[in-house]
Amino acid sequence: MSFELTPETVQLITSLAVIFMLVHMILGGCAYLILLERKLSSWMQDRIGPNRVGPKGLLQPIADGLKFMLKEDYNPEGIDRALFFLAPAVITATAMLGFVVIPFAGTLDLSTLPFGLATTLGLDGMTVQIVGAKVNIGLIYLIAVASLGVYGVVLGGWASNSKFSFLGGLRASAQMISYEIPMGLALLAVILLAGTLDPGRMIQGQLDGTWYILQQPLAALLFYICMLAESNRAPFDMAEAESELIGGYHTEYSSMKFALFFLAEYFHMITGAAFFTLLFLGGWSINPLPWGGDLPVQGGLLMVLLQFAVFAGKVVFLVAFAMVLRWTLPRFRFDQLMKLAWEGMIPTALLVVLVTSVFVFLGWTPWMWAGSIGCIILVYILQPLMPKQEDPNRRIPMIGSRFNPVDDGLEVPRHPVALSDAAIPDPSQGPVSMH
Amino acid sequence: MNLDPYIPIGVILLMAIGFVIANIILSTILGPRREGSIKGIAYESGMDPIGTTRKKFNVRFYIMAMTFLVFDVEIIFLYPWALTYTQLEPGSADSALFLGRILFFIATSVIAYVYAWRKGVFRWD
Repeated sequence: MSFELTPETVQLITSLAVIFMLVHMILGGCAYLILLERKLSSWMQDRIGPNRVGPKGLLQPIADGLKFMLKEDYNPEGIDRALFFLAPAVITATAMLGFVVIPFAGTLDLSTLPFGLATTLGLDGMTVQIVGAKVNIGLIYLIAVASLGVYGVVLGGWASNSKFSFLGGLRASAQMISYEIPMGLALLAVILLAGTLDPGRMIQGQLDGTWYILQQPLAALLFYICMLAESNRAPFDMAEAESELIGGYHTEYSSMKFALFFLAEYFHMITGAAFFTLLFLGGWSINPLPWGGDLPVQGGLLMVLLQFAVFAGKVVFLVAFAMVLRWTLPRFRFDQLMKLAWEGMIPTALLVVLVTSVFVFLGWTPWMWAGSIGCIILVYILQPLMPKQEDPNRRIPMIGSRFNPVDDGLEVPRHPVALSDAAIPDPSQGPVSMH
Repeated sequence: MNLDPYIPIGVILLMAIGFVIANIILSTILGPRREGSIKGIAYESGMDPIGTTRKKFNVRFYIMAMTFLVFDVEIIFLYPWALTYTQLEPGSADSALFLGRILFFIATSVIAYVYAWRKGVFRWD
């Protein structure tokens, strides 16, 4: 039997192979990123970190995975069974969809395959792109899939029949939808610069010219902040604020369902970091400046591996940076978080889009960085002129407030329980029932 | 319209669904199963839960979601505009017309945004 391999078939087979390899690499990467996070946090806090399982604790993720699998998968009372099952499934499945359109490497020239494979299979002169799905609206697809994760959060919060889960789910969903707007606007600023929605052509533009982080520093900053908020990472991990909400929307989850929530968070981080690398750090480009050489787009097997290594290195750097941020910055309070998104980042992002479109109109694309710096200066000038609220961080004095346990004769509405003697238990009567 | 590039997306979708279902079913089979009268109670820091969870919640979340929808739809309209706009010759009459249209479009939503801000939609205290 003999058949002709058309370029389309070869590309499809390559794409499927790339997806198959990448899924396993990222899943394994997620497990080891959790170990990296624990190690990083222990170094930052002057601890040792996990070091018991295997050499230097390197087998810890495998032990964790096994343990997760062997724990009881418990369904508490009063849950919505279908939605309780669906929430971790939705959040993980949608998190796994995003990376396919990201070109992790360039074009592979099949005639350079070893052992004369190319001639045997009739592949001489063919080229394939190392990308899961070569979609020409890849950026729209990425941002659409990234925002699907909010469904898992909402469903998990609603289905759990726990107030902590419910509040955590509400907060997380409000946060995720709020930060989607500046993310979309920052992406728009880059699209105005590149003039394409195709991830491959986006990287091509940065190989030929400057990295877009140098052209649009403010948009890059906004995008990075939104990326952290979208993947629910500190300082935006309102959803899982342990000190007030226990675990947030996954308080009631156990066993592998709980692990799936974590997996989704790390998957989101990797996809987000790859998205950032693609948009602002030039993909596998090694030269941020417009002059001088760069890696070629097309090459043999070794060149493709080198490109992938450069891309993966940038992704790991960004993820590690997010981890260092997590252990450095304190968590935002919820009202500050919403204020930052709606009153800080959205106007700034709109300003960036407007300035960028005016620069495009004037044909000043190579000087776009000046517009970004101008935006920063403008924000600094305008910010003190904005209408101010009264200080939300004001201290409430105990005397005269409704929290004062002593009746000080002031006309303040107080909780009746705090003022009646009957509500205060007498410790001499032994332990008091708490309900 | 060529839908070939979307075949791998269908494949990864199937892989993802298979992965999550396999994980959840495996842990259900492998894990132990012990019931208890108190075990099923929702966790509220050790206290017995008071009242039901399915309560009314703050209406701000609805207003926030509606404001989000307005802005998100606006941004979706901006993407095709940005693509066409960057193809035009800078400084030409067409380009000026495109810029003017989008400035008007953004201005209308900025008015709505300022209104929402003055109404206190973004205040959470």
